[in-house]
Amino acid sequence: MKLLPHWVSRPALVALLAALVVGAVLPKVLGLSVYSQNQVTETFLFVAAALAWNWMGGYLGQVSFGHSAMFGLGGFISARLLLALHLPFWLAWIVGGLVAAAYALVWGHPTLRLRGPYFSIATIGVGEATRLVMTYWEDLTGGSSGLSLPITPGLKSELYWWALALMALVIAASYSLRKSTFGLGLLAIKSDVDAAADVGISPTLMQDIVLLLSGFTVGVCGAFYASYQNFIEPGDMFGFDRSISFVLMAVIGGVGTIIGPALGAVVFVMLRQYLIGSYPQLYLGIYGLLLIVVILFEPLGMMGLFFRIARRFGLMRPEVEATLEAKAAVGGGAADPGARQGGAP
Amino acid sequence: MNAAMLEVRDLSLAYGDVQVLFGVSLRVDEGEIVTLLGSNGAGKTTTLRAISGLRPPRGGEVLFSGQSLLAVPASKRAEMGIALVPEGRELWPLLTVRENLELGAYTRSARARSAANLEKVFRLFPRLRERHAQMAGSLSGGEQQMCAIGRALMSEPRLLMLDEPSLGLAPILVDQVFDIVRTLHQQGITILLVEQNLQKALEVARRGYVIETGSVKLSGTSADLLADPAIRSAYLGL
Repeated sequence: MKLLPHWVSRPALVALLAALVVGAVLPKVLGLSVYSQNQVTETFLFVAAALAWNWMGGYLGQVSFGHSAMFGLGGFISARLLLALHLPFWLAWIVGGLVAAAYALVWGHPTLRLRGPYFSIATIGVGEATRLVMTYWEDLTGGSSGLSLPITPGLKSELYWWALALMALVIAASYSLRKSTFGLGLLAIKSDVDAAADVGISPTLMQDIVLLLSGFTVGVCGAFYASYQNFIEPGDMFGFDRSISFVLMAVIGGVGTIIGPALGAVVFVMLRQYLIGSYPQLYLGIYGLLLIVVILFEPLGMMGLFFRIARRFGLMRPEVEATLEAKAAVGGGAADPGARQGGAP
Repeated sequence: MNAAMLEVRDLSLAYGDVQVLFGVSLRVDEGEIVTLLGSNGAGKTTTLRAISGLRPPRGGEVLFSGQSLLAVPASKRAEMGIALVPEGRELWPLLTVRENLELGAYTRSARARSAANLEKVFRLFPRLRERHAQMAGSLSGGEQQMCAIGRALMSEPRLLMLDEPSLGLAPILVDQVFDIVRTLHQQGITILLVEQNLQKALEVARRGYVIETGSVKLSGTSADLLADPAIRSAYLGL
């Protein structure tokens, strides 16, 4: 009997399980401080968010600058549910994610008729409009003074495990989305929409599905963030910085690759901690610079660098490397102009 | 008389303000090879794009097996049995040959028989089997054309539309492509062939339509068209 679909390779499964075990025992072995463990929790969370952004921006080539809308909505819906109904927090996260997904579909179904830079520009509008509405919608978000959640003792260390599980699920989903027949269809849409429609792929339907999945996951991440921070306010949750951060993580790591955005998120969280501490006025500028450098010299980010090194030392069979790199770069023309706009702030 | 598999009635279509088709009518019967001829910019490709659903027409009617296609999205038309080999191939250059072919069997009905059909395509084009792991963009022009035809065949089409399959190919490959068209027809596939190469197209087709500036100027059996003095002077330089 075959338990797994044909595209699940044994090495990938083993790698995921190994990563999970390492993640599980690491805090104990290293004897991490509470502070460091919280940093790791946050990293896990943003790995999940960056990968979910990448389903749209990388797999589909539709670079969104409006994902803060779903992040924030997931956060505030779940916070309201926790405050009003005292739901178990995982249930509040799921409901937050569902509302975020529904919202994503409302703005995304029409906007996804646009492609490439046009879509990206539209998403900037969506993100900013959402931020403004949410800032003034005090009944939901508490306005500029934000919302405080009840503090539960011991919750933060428990959230470490939830973050690990969330990240593992999203990594598995990223892998499935890329390797399955569905993922092949996404590549086809990314690289030639007309040809895709000709062979019977429905671009509208598939884009909507990816949008729902991405919106749901980012919404859950926002909800998790709310539980983790205990305090959220719309300027931070719905901010343009927030949207840009997802783009940055993916671009630094490697847009469109399976694991690149995860690496990018790790770098991003570490770098931000250092930059905010040392250069609080400059840190967004430094990110802009980093973005420009990556796009100019290594459009595939850290994954591109990795491929380059592996090739230099003959660690990778050329045909494997060629196809891996190719898959990520498919339709890169659509991703590039979008990513470049990120240099503006 | 056979039943009409495809019937196009009075089709008109515009790109923005520029009208391209002015009432094109044609029919393809079950089991036929019909060719649509004409020079650059006459509206051949646009007609095919309207039939495959990539461009909404401004007026007219497209019927497939008697059923109107106008409300059917392009992706559903593939499922109904219409396959297009687009002009200039439109392969996914960075996907492998095998992936390109597998994408051809994306519809639910075709997916189940994907493996068997892949084998059929590889038997028809042994060259593609040799190159199955290679990126489609690295194939030669002739191989790319084979790959595009193979991709269309993966959905087990009832109607195969080929848009200038001989475009940009060396003469010897052009002959090969027309041989393939004949073979496919013998296997029972109905074919609508768009060509600029009149001589070759009329050799394989039973009937033809000549389209000029967006409307059908002439139609008839291949023999009649080849004998037509206007055609001989305008297109064949005789």
